Amino acid sequence: MKNSISLLLVVLLFSSCEKIVTLDYKENQSRIIIDGSITNETGPYFVKITKSLKLTETGTYPTIDNATVTISDDAGNRETLIPRGGGLYQTAQLKGTAGRTYTLTVQAEDQTYTAQSTMPTPVPFESIKVEAVVFTGETEYNLIPVYNDPTVSGNNYRFVVSVNDKLINQHLIQNDEVKNGVVNTLRLEINDDDLKLKQGDVVNVTMQCIDKNVALFYKTLMLIGDSGPGGGTTPTNPPNNISNGALGIFSAHTVETKGVTIP
Amino acid sequence: MQPKTNTHLLSYKHKIAIGIFILILFSSTLLLAQSKYTVSGTVKQKSSGETLIGVAVGVVEKPTIGVTTNEYGFYSLSLPKGNYTLRFSYIGYEQQSIPVELNSNVTVNVNLADGVSLEEVVVSSKKEDENLTNATMGTEVLNMKTATKIPVVFGEKDLVKTIQLMPGVKSNGEGSNGFSVRGGGTDQNLILLDEAPVYNASHLLGMFSTFNSDAIKDATIIKGNSPAQFGGRLSSVLDVKMKEGNNKNYQVSGGIGLISSRLTVEGPIQKEKSSFIISGRRTYADLFARLSSDLKDVKLYFYDLNAKANLAINDKNKLYFSGYFGKDVLGVSKTFGSDWGNSTATLRWNSVLSSKLFSNTSLIYSNYDFNVGFKSENSEINFNSHIKDLNLKQDFTFYPNADNTIRFGFNVIHHTITPTKAEGSDIVSNKKGRIGLENAVYASNSWKVSDKINVDYGLRLSFYNVMGGDTYHIYEKNQLTQSIELEQGKVGKTYFNLEPRLAANYRLTPSASVKVGYARNTQNLHLMSNATGGSPTDQWIGNSYNIKPEVADQVSLGLSKNFNNNAIELNTEVYYKSMQHQIDYRDGVDINTVPDIESELLFGKGRAYGIEILLKKKTGTLTGWIGYTLSKTERQIEGINNGQWYNAKQDRTHDLSIVGIYTLSPRWTLSGTFIYSTGNAVTFPTGKYMLNDMLIYQYGSRNADRMPATHRLDIGATYEKPSRGKYQSSWSFGLYNAYGRKNPFALTFKENKSNPEKIDAVQTSLFQWVPSVTYNFKF
Repeated sequence: MKNSISLLLVVLLFSSCEKIVTLDYKENQSRIIIDGSITNETGPYFVKITKSLKLTETGTYPTIDNATVTISDDAGNRETLIPRGGGLYQTAQLKGTAGRTYTLTVQAEDQTYTAQSTMPTPVPFESIKVEAVVFTGETEYNLIPVYNDPTVSGNNYRFVVSVNDKLINQHLIQNDEVKNGVVNTLRLEINDDDLKLKQGDVVNVTMQCIDKNVALFYKTLMLIGDSGPGGGTTPTNPPNNISNGALGIFSAHTVETKGVTIP
Repeated sequence: MQPKTNTHLLSYKHKIAIGIFILILFSSTLLLAQSKYTVSGTVKQKSSGETLIGVAVGVVEKPTIGVTTNEYGFYSLSLPKGNYTLRFSYIGYEQQSIPVELNSNVTVNVNLADGVSLEEVVVSSKKEDENLTNATMGTEVLNMKTATKIPVVFGEKDLVKTIQLMPGVKSNGEGSNGFSVRGGGTDQNLILLDEAPVYNASHLLGMFSTFNSDAIKDATIIKGNSPAQFGGRLSSVLDVKMKEGNNKNYQVSGGIGLISSRLTVEGPIQKEKSSFIISGRRTYADLFARLSSDLKDVKLYFYDLNAKANLAINDKNKLYFSGYFGKDVLGVSKTFGSDWGNSTATLRWNSVLSSKLFSNTSLIYSNYDFNVGFKSENSEINFNSHIKDLNLKQDFTFYPNADNTIRFGFNVIHHTITPTKAEGSDIVSNKKGRIGLENAVYASNSWKVSDKINVDYGLRLSFYNVMGGDTYHIYEKNQLTQSIELEQGKVGKTYFNLEPRLAANYRLTPSASVKVGYARNTQNLHLMSNATGGSPTDQWIGNSYNIKPEVADQVSLGLSKNFNNNAIELNTEVYYKSMQHQIDYRDGVDINTVPDIESELLFGKGRAYGIEILLKKKTGTLTGWIGYTLSKTERQIEGINNGQWYNAKQDRTHDLSIVGIYTLSPRWTLSGTFIYSTGNAVTFPTGKYMLNDMLIYQYGSRNADRMPATHRLDIGATYEKPSRGKYQSSWSFGLYNAYGRKNPFALTFKENKSNPEKIDAVQTSLFQWVPSVTYNFKF
């Protein structure tokens, strides 16, 4: 909200200017990154284990390929994942089911990391509504995911958007804190600095129903990304559901994808 | 054993402290009582009839005795029977001496004529060596004549921008009107406009302050060592007083600038007895914007209106009414609209109860509200928040003898605080307005112990009642443990705080003084903000079962030295401040939508210390000051930065400002300001990783990095045209950021367009070379 206000002001009143600056960065502690997900689609599901790089470093991210990775659920299923190289570990039989709680255990570099996530009941993703708005002379397109939020409160949704097969690197989270149990009418708050939708663009949106902890993780990332001019939210490593100081997230979620072409 | 009952309002410790204080108060004043008579009266400006605050009233025959006029121009001086000559002096005015034959209580009202040197006055220290004789610490008084000579962005003269040029007061960043005093937060400043608290003192998201310079008489900033009549904020008091209006002649003045215009009308209601002033201001940047077809749907402006009237009931009683109303409007066609603003009203009754006792009773109303609405084809959602105060203040000033001035009184504020809540169809939010009562009783004495020693001491007892009408939730480690449904009118919880205040001055030599001070301040209202520089979306929250009053203890030590017959003043102060019950909230919380912000709060402590140096040249053709601050401010909050101390956002190591005003000729005045400050404490990423094919940054310690430093030169010139009859006019020219420095406004980190493996830090800057021109007139 504040972001849009100050941006508008800056655009209207001042010709602000941008330049690339050289900064001194503090020493970075390379940390283990765990990126795992279980969905309600058929498997296999993957867990990826990598390590972080210094901000100024280029090149590929180091991977960990000799870890022991297991996933179990609260229905008594348990499986050790098969290493595939490049930091990837893959399931064989596991079947993601809504309502179940999954536990991930990773043993790597003499440390054990655990995480838990519960797959929520899927909420059907009905369609994407495209809304054209004329804003300071330009037509902008808003994307409104249409779904009927259940009356029970505490639902969280994550949206992954790609435009013309290009993934948009933004964290888009909606919840029922403000409006509960109704058809959604809120647009996805896509920062249009990097993305200007135009007629003919093919947009794909994946809707994920996620649990509370996964939502907090992505919402923190969203707020950091939203800080805008003046710097609002102080950035931090977002709170996650993995123990022992690993970065990343383990998410059991439902998925449904819809596509639309900007008319 | 009997169970301990909890019916005592005050703890035993508190009672003892109050008892000792009263004993000291009486011993220092009443023991010295002897048969004396009192001379009292009011001091006014000759041309307009405006009362003058802080005029030094001295006795020629007894050079060590003297008082200064209070906020309403009143003074009282008790002396043994005899013949005296009273000398009234105020910088920028002609000194006046009046013989008094004191064999009964007498009233001497004085009109001081504007002096010829007026235009050269920079900082209105009231008496030439006041900085040496007064125990007051960490205090700067600024008159509007100073502010109007200093160049600012867009040529819009601004009191708050000028205050930010004082050491110890730091701007929150370019284009921001929020400020931090001695390491405190933006919400820790008590901003008063004719005694009414102003909750958001900025327009256009901080580009301008809510104070229209045409309607303002003067402003005082007290950096933590405030006298006992002030309270409620940890860091500072900014006490802004509106003009009363000319009670002799009707007068119209105004200014036409590039983005705003102002108009003021003032005049007598009853000649020489009562007067009014009404002053308005509006920006019109949006009118130009609308000429372009692209921007024709945009609304962006603010306006404000100040009005004040006073009425003399008789010689001893006077009524004042003052009001302020301001609004900002920002919107784009029908899809987005927002507005916010303050309104305040103050009704005051001054009464001279006796020649030794002055009373002021004030009834004050203050309101701040914020609305924002988003509308699309099939949905509409509005957010709004507000805070409303009803406030009663009673203040007495008692002048028992020439060496003591006692102030005592009480204050009751009824707050209604509504946090940001959403409105529209299907909204689930059930947030309600909460009521709190903020009360205080206080007493203080300004005691002239000897020729060399002055002591100001006081005690303020503040207590805050959490009132019913809402459900309060109690959390332990952010987990709900209890919910209390409190009925309307019931007192839920009361917080007591005893706040001692002390400042003492010892004159080492005729031209040098050393000072010490200690003050405890508490704060019962807290600002939840998701921005650095003060945003209209910020929301206030009162004490509750979880939120305790914030407490700050500040000790300071000062040294003042004057040179060249008081023409040059050097004031230095060192301070250490410790803060308790500081508040922040957890990561990932959107304060506007979270159902109960209290579930997300984190508490901790803070510390701030530094040295401030201010060198002022007060007279001559070249006047101005150099202010420098070396400081540090940190916080430690459980749940942030692994519980380790970290730099507060507003921590800046060096802060320098140089202000110069040069009177070239009677017609031309030139001015310049230069500022340099270390960048704000911020958190840069240290590393990066990939998650689901998205780039994510890794961070280390909080606020361990620095924005690049800010420095800037602004220059200005004022030309006073020869006046034609009553009509006077002047042109002001300004150039903001004269050498076009690209100062950092924001930093963002992005993948390089041609090589996505490389991360670029992109700095956004505003305001390079902003010229301005303003035409001012008066008739």
